[in-house]
Amino acid sequence: MSVADRAASPLHDEAPRAVLVARGITKSFPGVLALDNVDFDVRSGEVTALLGENGAGKSTLIKMMAGFYAPDSGEITVDGAVLHADPSSAHHIGVATIHQDAHLVPAMSVAENIMLGRWPTRYGWLQMKRQREKAAAALARVAPHLNPSTPAGRLSSADQQLVEIARAISEDSRVLIMDEPTTSLSPPEIDRLFAVVEDLKSKGLSIVFVSHWLDEVFRIADRVTVLRDGRLVGSRPISELDHDKVIRMMVGREVRDTVISKRPVGDVVLRVSNLSRENVLSNISFEVRAGEIVGMSGLVGAGRSELASCIFGIDPYDSGSVEIGGEAIRPNDPKAAIEAGIGLVPEDRRRQALVGLMSVKSNVTLSLLDRISNFGFLNMAREREIADREIKALAVKTPSSNTRVSTLSGGNQQKVVLARWLARKPKLLILDEPTKGIDVGAKSEISELILRLAEGGMAILLISSELPEILTLTDRVLVMRSGRISASLTREEATSETIMSFATTG
Amino acid sequence: MTDLVPRQSGGLSALRGRLSFIDLVQSLGLMAVILLGSLVMTTLSPVFATVRNIENVLQSATIIAVVAIGQTFVILVSGIDLSVASVLVLSSVLSVGLVQFQGFPPEVAIVAALVAGLGVGMINGLAVTKLRIPPLIATLATMTIARGFAYIYSGGTNIAPVPKIFVELQASRIFGIPGVIVLTLVLAGIAQIVLSRTRFGRSVYATGGNPLAARLAGIKTERVIIVAFMISGLMSAVAGLLITARFEAGAATAAQGMELAVIAAVVIGGVSLFGGEGNMGSMLLGVLLLGLVQNAVNLLNVPPNWDSVVSGLVIAAAAALDVYRRNYLEAGMRKKVIATKAGKQPKPS
Repeated sequence: MSVADRAASPLHDEAPRAVLVARGITKSFPGVLALDNVDFDVRSGEVTALLGENGAGKSTLIKMMAGFYAPDSGEITVDGAVLHADPSSAHHIGVATIHQDAHLVPAMSVAENIMLGRWPTRYGWLQMKRQREKAAAALARVAPHLNPSTPAGRLSSADQQLVEIARAISEDSRVLIMDEPTTSLSPPEIDRLFAVVEDLKSKGLSIVFVSHWLDEVFRIADRVTVLRDGRLVGSRPISELDHDKVIRMMVGREVRDTVISKRPVGDVVLRVSNLSRENVLSNISFEVRAGEIVGMSGLVGAGRSELASCIFGIDPYDSGSVEIGGEAIRPNDPKAAIEAGIGLVPEDRRRQALVGLMSVKSNVTLSLLDRISNFGFLNMAREREIADREIKALAVKTPSSNTRVSTLSGGNQQKVVLARWLARKPKLLILDEPTKGIDVGAKSEISELILRLAEGGMAILLISSELPEILTLTDRVLVMRSGRISASLTREEATSETIMSFATTG
Repeated sequence: MTDLVPRQSGGLSALRGRLSFIDLVQSLGLMAVILLGSLVMTTLSPVFATVRNIENVLQSATIIAVVAIGQTFVILVSGIDLSVASVLVLSSVLSVGLVQFQGFPPEVAIVAALVAGLGVGMINGLAVTKLRIPPLIATLATMTIARGFAYIYSGGTNIAPVPKIFVELQASRIFGIPGVIVLTLVLAGIAQIVLSRTRFGRSVYATGGNPLAARLAGIKTERVIIVAFMISGLMSAVAGLLITARFEAGAATAAQGMELAVIAAVVIGGVSLFGGEGNMGSMLLGVLLLGLVQNAVNLLNVPPNWDSVVSGLVIAAAAALDVYRRNYLEAGMRKKVIATKAGKQPKPS
């Protein structure tokens, strides 16, 4: 859309006016400043792309605009009306949010979902006809191909998204926030979505568009706003920018290039060949050698955790193979993977690794039950010995080994998960975001531990969204994008810019 | 090989190892309620504190207790088994009927009854794990089917007389204590050792506490769940033999609604319906408390129609106490978790 078109629009005579204005937004969570004095404007009839690395503060800002969080300081207004920290306030003043996953009631019809909670009634009786009419009016603008009486659960995710947009229109929303709306869409569905967005924009609606894909951003956005580490980096018209400039705005920081003495690298431990899983992973091949730390970079949803799940046997795969020391391991069987010598420190330790009700000791030995039992009976003395040894080796801060693991801090919980694997001495250790959600002190302890393990000859696959972690620890970096390995970079080639660029484009 | 059950970690240290402080409070709380209630009953009814009455309470509690031992395994893996009372009845009619109708020796009939229990348990377990039918529904189906077979086989009436072995079992005394009570305690003891001292027991807690984490640690969670259901089936079949002995008949029409009484007792005994939490000791206290309430209702001449109201109130009170306890516990945990989780995760999406 050109400037001339915009000027011709009856709503604005000159530059587009700001509809949503956020001023001085600061939000901290215990231990971290998520947003630091951020100003953010959404102009009428524009698509504003909100960009930033994982953890830059985008989600916090979106949740604030949707009324889920209150800022510690600062204020958000929509056409002068103040937004209160309450989702219904956001709806009331005209901010609608389309979340990554559709929020529809699957058993209700499209029409009922569009009118969700605002069903027209008279004397308490639902007025089906008026509901259908209102819903149909909204549907006609974004998804004329949908039948208002179809149950929403039967629609494709793309159509469900359109229903959500129709709901936003029927509420007379002025600002539409779309949080990574294209992640689960096919290319034709993306085209259709973008056509709808163009149409809404031409009718004066303002759109905030969050996406990791720069190609999409350059297709649809009029303006780009970049956050980094909770701060506003800048907000500029798309015409002033190109891919490289945007990436530099996103990465920006100085990355200290600590030189690590190169470790001697041994035989191939892990060999993944042509691994594919429908709609998730396609044709993944790589190797990790003994004593080598291979980093795996990419954006959230690029398929990194999914790959780890396939290697470790949590999820099945359609084709390809995973070998440890030259021997293929049985797919979809974590026990086989463990016995072959793989350890996994998963991303969500509370959900995937720890049994919260159990003691620290029992959690450490959970994957060692075969080694601490004779004829099915646990050798409690041996269990205690192993647990105490590992707790001491990793300096886990816990009142006793009988303490419930859920009462420990995040860093110490992570150490318990690490202790579990170190006690088994795996040949390959997969670490998925090992320092996520833990404090700085524990973070550096874990980094040092990773280096020490590699020096001891363990092969390590380190999945991390934190570029500094990848750049300082790894010997080689694999970059994933949309279920493929888009680049394999040596230490020398890997920089924030190259990684970001392979993660977002190409 | 080392000592399988190291002596030094028995007694109080075993309590510390398995039970957290809060669990201990739960057991002590139940014990206090039981003692207090018994004191009150002693003053209210001259019959209550007689050996005969106490023995009677314990004897009736044994059948529920044995079923509850199995049910505890299932609930610990966050399942539920509604088929227990039907399996009990099926086992009871088989244990007598196979002798009466088919002329098998009693030993064969008893083994067949136990195998039937194991079989129903296995079907439950397979339905839950392989077919992914929710436990409530899967066992509701087998509950109906098993009772149906029991009726078909028995013709809907009790089968008598019973082989001598059952009469002897009921009359037996070991050190002056009725044999069935001793048997129940032995079974509960074995079950507790399995839970706290074996690889399988640890896997039960892990599977119920966090099935995904258990699977990722290399535990075959589906197998654990199947075995838990099989133990439940087996225990229900054992209880079927006890009821044969007690009623001196293959009891085709007994134990109506007993599955709910068993689940109530288990939950009162501090076994979490969410799985992963509980032990046999407190569970038995739960069974005992329900038995005492029943006894009190009888002794105090409460109109019979009121006794289920009273039992229901006790269940509600126990459940409310459990939720309160859990919330109290989790509030403490959550504070810490939020502090650490938000610590480095500015993107709580």
